[in-house]
Amino acid sequence: MAKPASTRRFRLSPSLANRLTIGFAIAFAVLTGLAVIGVARFLQQRQDYENATARSYQREIEARNRLAQGRHPVAARAAVLAQQRHRSELRDEISSETRDTALLVGAGLIAGLTGAALLFTGLIASMRRPLEDLVDASGRLAGGDLNARVKIGGLSETATLGAAFNEMAEELQRRAGERDQLDRMKDEFVLTASHELRSPLTSVQGFAELLLLERERLSPKQADTVEVILDNTRHLVRLLNDLLDLARSDAGRLTIRAEPTEATGLIEDAVRTMRAQFDARRQELNLEIETGLPRIEADRDRIRQVLVNLLTNANEYCPEGAGIEVKAHRADADVEIEVIDDGPGIPAPQLERIFERFTRGDAGETQRVGGTGLGLAISKSLVELHGGTIEAESIPGAGSTFRVRLPAIAMDRAKVS
Amino acid sequence: MAQILVADDSETILLLMRTRLEMAGHEVETAADGQEVIDAVSRAAAPHDVLLLDAMMPRKSGIDALRELRAAGNDTPALIVSAHTDAGDEPGDRADLEIAAYITKPIDFDQLFAKITELAS
Repeated sequence: MAKPASTRRFRLSPSLANRLTIGFAIAFAVLTGLAVIGVARFLQQRQDYENATARSYQREIEARNRLAQGRHPVAARAAVLAQQRHRSELRDEISSETRDTALLVGAGLIAGLTGAALLFTGLIASMRRPLEDLVDASGRLAGGDLNARVKIGGLSETATLGAAFNEMAEELQRRAGERDQLDRMKDEFVLTASHELRSPLTSVQGFAELLLLERERLSPKQADTVEVILDNTRHLVRLLNDLLDLARSDAGRLTIRAEPTEATGLIEDAVRTMRAQFDARRQELNLEIETGLPRIEADRDRIRQVLVNLLTNANEYCPEGAGIEVKAHRADADVEIEVIDDGPGIPAPQLERIFERFTRGDAGETQRVGGTGLGLAISKSLVELHGGTIEAESIPGAGSTFRVRLPAIAMDRAKVS
Repeated sequence: MAQILVADDSETILLLMRTRLEMAGHEVETAADGQEVIDAVSRAAAPHDVLLLDAMMPRKSGIDALRELRAAGNDTPALIVSAHTDAGDEPGDRADLEIAAYITKPIDFDQLFAKITELAS
């Protein structure tokens, strides 16, 4: 079945990566440029300021020298004052220019960051819708809706992702279809085989019975031989019936026709059917049914089949002289039916898998016991179809308990119906 | 004792049916398909007591033969033998065929004899 996956590969186009890289580069260049220009301008202004201040001090010193030498004292004094005023103006100027530069750089940074943020939000927003679509479709696919597909669109990346998703879903659906078809073929085969085998089995069983009708004309050995043929034929028929039930169960076609049923009568009926087998093995079969047991919504034949199966197991797996109890009582909203035996019990590893197909007692036992290994698996399916549960408990050496719970019909509803 | 018309496409099954039914004291006529059933019914001097028809036979099935007989006004009690364990559940309108019971293969002869006695009385 392992078929190489489609050779087609989905590749993300480099456009998203490119766009992101270019976006980053532009943002980086703009912001770095702004910072460099800002710092350079700041340093230049600082330099100009210091030079101008130095020149002003120089002039003031020259003026003061002239004053000290007594040359043009009025003009020199005025020059000193003028230089002091000039430096004060320079200080005002530099602080105002520094503020302007800081504002310029700050505004540039904010604009750059805002632009970058807008760019990325835009990208994210354009990816969001297709991604939400994908999340939704994945959820539906996981939930078993194989028709889940996404609308392909948006950025080329999400479009590629969408196309890949759709192809995956397509493939899953195709394989599920193939598997369903195989399942149908298998079920069909089991049904056909089971029916086709019935006619020859009818002949074998019928003629063997015919021979036994004239037992007096057979030697004891011949009669025993015919008994063996009959036993095995019946076993084959049981196996066929069980396989048929399982095939139906797998195909979801194991159906029940449930109707309000007296649990008490149903249990008594199943026990009555099995009484002779218990007597034959000198086993004691006790029945304990609570009075006023509510009715259950049940397919009579199918629940009878379950109970007969449990009783058959107890009958066949317990030694001669063993004791078996059938108890039925109300348990919460259910009717609980227990089949309790004091037989050899079931070892834990087998108990865990007791309701799986072809799980049976140990090999030595199965030689003697005529079961098919399917009875409990079918019983479980049937009980669950009724909305009930079945469980097993066992203490090796002390016995086993099988417990079936079936929903009781509520008293008020029972009165109405 | 009853007059029984048995139809099955398997000679072995017919032999088995004839032997068991005759041992039980019934009078048996056999047919290998649905057309032979219709021929046998129209040929019969006195109507049969019970028809025992296999549901699936080549050419004409027991169901189709019974449908024709019922359409012609025949009301002989009919038992349908089927390999299907759920024969009664099959789709298709069989309500007007008045099928007395379905007999599942392999045949439980005690059950079959009880049915025949009930229908022939």
